[in-house]
Amino acid sequence: MKNIIRALRSERGWSQAALADQLGVSRQSVNAIETGKYDPSLPLAFSIARLFEKSIEEIFEDETASDAKLAAE
Amino acid sequence: MSQQTFKSASKRYWRAFVPTMIIYLIATLAGSFYLKTFETEPTWLQATVAVACTLPMVLFLFIQIRYFLETDEYNRMIQLKGFAIGAAITVSAIFLIGFLQMFHVINRVEVFWFGPAFFVAYGLSTYALGGRQCL
Repeated sequence: MKNIIRALRSERGWSQAALADQLGVSRQSVNAIETGKYDPSLPLAFSIARLFEKSIEEIFEDETASDAKLAAE
Repeated sequence: MSQQTFKSASKRYWRAFVPTMIIYLIATLAGSFYLKTFETEPTWLQATVAVACTLPMVLFLFIQIRYFLETDEYNRMIQLKGFAIGAAITVSAIFLIGFLQMFHVINRVEVFWFGPAFFVAYGLSTYALGGRQCL
């Protein structure tokens, strides 16, 4: 799943460790989510969305849904 | 979600892990040294030392399980995958070596070594999956 966490984090000048601290997860978790190696659970996705004051859909992009939409068009 | 989930879980883990390993080292070193002072060790004493050496490892496994439950979700996934791969490798080795022994291809292998072999396989698998910081 693609996401814009890295961009949102950079906008605020936060390091991965600072974001990890605020979410209560490890820096490795933040890195894995940012690079798309790991998709967060729904509670963690909500925490991320709340922290950046955005909706989950604004932060995460469901690639499967996007591909299906493109195929339909 | 707690704000300090990962950090507090890591702190709790290290606070429990270090004393357990120290007790394990003391039990194995002191136990084997003490047994050597006897010309023929009494069986009850050998059994007591064996139990004393094993208990810290049992405790360690439960500490590890608590860490799996308390750490953050990504780290839990890496740890559990590493644990499962480590267990799969060790059990495979047990079967292979067991059959080789049964068919008299190899001589007797000390069962004890499968324990350390599991921890090595678990550690290497976790490292391969998540890197040094997941260990």
